[in-house]
Amino acid sequence: MNLIAQTLADGLVLGGIYALAAVGFSLIFGVLHVINLSHGILVLMGAYLALIFSEALHIDPLLCIPPVMAVLFCVGYAYQRFLIQRAVDRASVNSMLLTFGVALMLQNAMIWVFSPDMKSITPSYAFTSLKLGPVNLDAVRLSALAASLILLSCLAALLRFSPLGRVIRATAQQTMAARLCGVNVRHVYALTFAVSAAFAGAAGIVIGIILPFSPMDEGAWTLNAFVVVVLGGVGSPAGALIGGLLLGLVSTLTAQYIGPAFPNVTMFLLLVLLLLVRPNGLLGNAFAPSR
Amino acid sequence: MTRNPTLIFVLVAAAVVVLAAGPLFLPPFYVRVGQLMLYSAGLGLAWAILGGLAGYVSFGHAAFIGVGAFTAGLVEGQLTGLPPLLLLPVGLLAGAGCCGILAALIAYPILRLRGTFFAIAMLGVSHVCAELTNNIDFFQGSMGLNFPPIAPSGMDPANFFYELYLAAALFILLISWLVRRSRFGAGLLSIREDEDTARMLGVPTERYKRLAFVLSAVLTGVMGVIYAHSLGYITTDSVYRDDTNLSLIVYSLLGGMGTLFGPVIGAFLLVFVTQVILGRLLDFHLFATGLVLVVLVLAAPGGVAGLLKKRKGTAA
Repeated sequence: MNLIAQTLADGLVLGGIYALAAVGFSLIFGVLHVINLSHGILVLMGAYLALIFSEALHIDPLLCIPPVMAVLFCVGYAYQRFLIQRAVDRASVNSMLLTFGVALMLQNAMIWVFSPDMKSITPSYAFTSLKLGPVNLDAVRLSALAASLILLSCLAALLRFSPLGRVIRATAQQTMAARLCGVNVRHVYALTFAVSAAFAGAAGIVIGIILPFSPMDEGAWTLNAFVVVVLGGVGSPAGALIGGLLLGLVSTLTAQYIGPAFPNVTMFLLLVLLLLVRPNGLLGNAFAPSR
Repeated sequence: MTRNPTLIFVLVAAAVVVLAAGPLFLPPFYVRVGQLMLYSAGLGLAWAILGGLAGYVSFGHAAFIGVGAFTAGLVEGQLTGLPPLLLLPVGLLAGAGCCGILAALIAYPILRLRGTFFAIAMLGVSHVCAELTNNIDFFQGSMGLNFPPIAPSGMDPANFFYELYLAAALFILLISWLVRRSRFGAGLLSIREDEDTARMLGVPTERYKRLAFVLSAVLTGVMGVIYAHSLGYITTDSVYRDDTNLSLIVYSLLGGMGTLFGPVIGAFLLVFVTQVILGRLLDFHLFATGLVLVVLVLAAPGGVAGLLKKRKGTAA
């Protein structure tokens, strides 16, 4: 019983992080219809930036979230405006390959700069933990989960209530109609990408404080994001949250009860199964109603 | 495409003769590069039957390389008494057969997906196959499998495998050519252009897609079996490679998506660039591949063949 509770709790924490790491990918997919295969790179960029900031300034890694998000916002805007926009209007495979190419280049660059070794960010409270009934929770994991949920809610509120969110939703639903209403679509695409990159960076920080990371992980994070989006549904923070929690639970349960080597196998079986039964994800496409 | 077919045939025949004679005058390093070129060209052609013609871009064809290689290895391990020259055909038959069965089984669910979803689902298939091979002891993926030497005793194994790759690549080229000329090929093209319309007009799209998928898997498996033999010892990581998954797309993209010779041109070019020009800069490898990809997508979405066609179009 204790084991089940503990496994479920671990799964939920992991799921919250998967959700945060995937939400940017989901937004880009929903609005630009681009599969951003360099998403994992953006996540890792956040992690490395936080490592640099927190070591240089001796501050808590979670306090690095705003500056890191700001940096990645700019990176994302420029990346979309100068590179991806050129491939967006062509076949979807093209933009996928473009982002894959960028991912390869940046991964190689990261290996040069940061070495291929595993790194991790250690906050001051790394070794405190608290007990909640039978369940053991580290302070680190708890704060990671809290940060994920808060950031996801912020993004949901941004999309739902702010003028920027309204324009993004409009563009995703009817690009042509939005353009006719005076929306600068390219600018909105770039802003969407920038917001997504910023959230990817924030996810990187949260990942960095609970798991070790290296430049080789980028593929895994991109794939996770894809699975989460397919499970939960495209475009919405809620979809990402559902998909992320599901993925987290499935992978910890598999690792606990089937074998530590099998999470990826169950993950992909689940993915293929869901693609077949419910191709739009559990919550469907957030921008679908008018398409 | 109104060029003289006889001329093309003569050109190909001449190229084959030159290639076949290659090992006689090439230094060993270039024989090795030649092997890799022919291997990649064969894989690229096999991939293009599905990806180029039918437009189903697969991101996971390494699955069939791996399944073919491991099936052949396990079957040949049971038949150690056989003479080496008989082992290869047996291995080819087993490996390709197993790929065919696997493809036929997964074709039904997976071909219902389109575009990027198909691509990523195939990547998933490749990862699942790799992990199962690695973690189930029976397949010996993590320990590795040994292959018996099969080259005839009088011949340098490098040259033997070079010629073997050449033969296999030619075989796949021939099949691709036959497919393109047939009603089946035309049906695949119509699927690429507009699947729903094709279906409405009476093209048996489901059957054609499945057939193309299985054919492509079997031919990839053939290449995988030969590759495993030329390595002599394989582990999961040496056959289920994500860079192969990617390269197969790049070959077609570089040479020209959907053209007959596109994958061959692309494979030769890319292998030459990465192995010969960048051979000494191993640290630079990923970066260069990525750069090639980015430049390609931005500057030449139609590949080399597309550029040539464009040049011709503007000149005329």
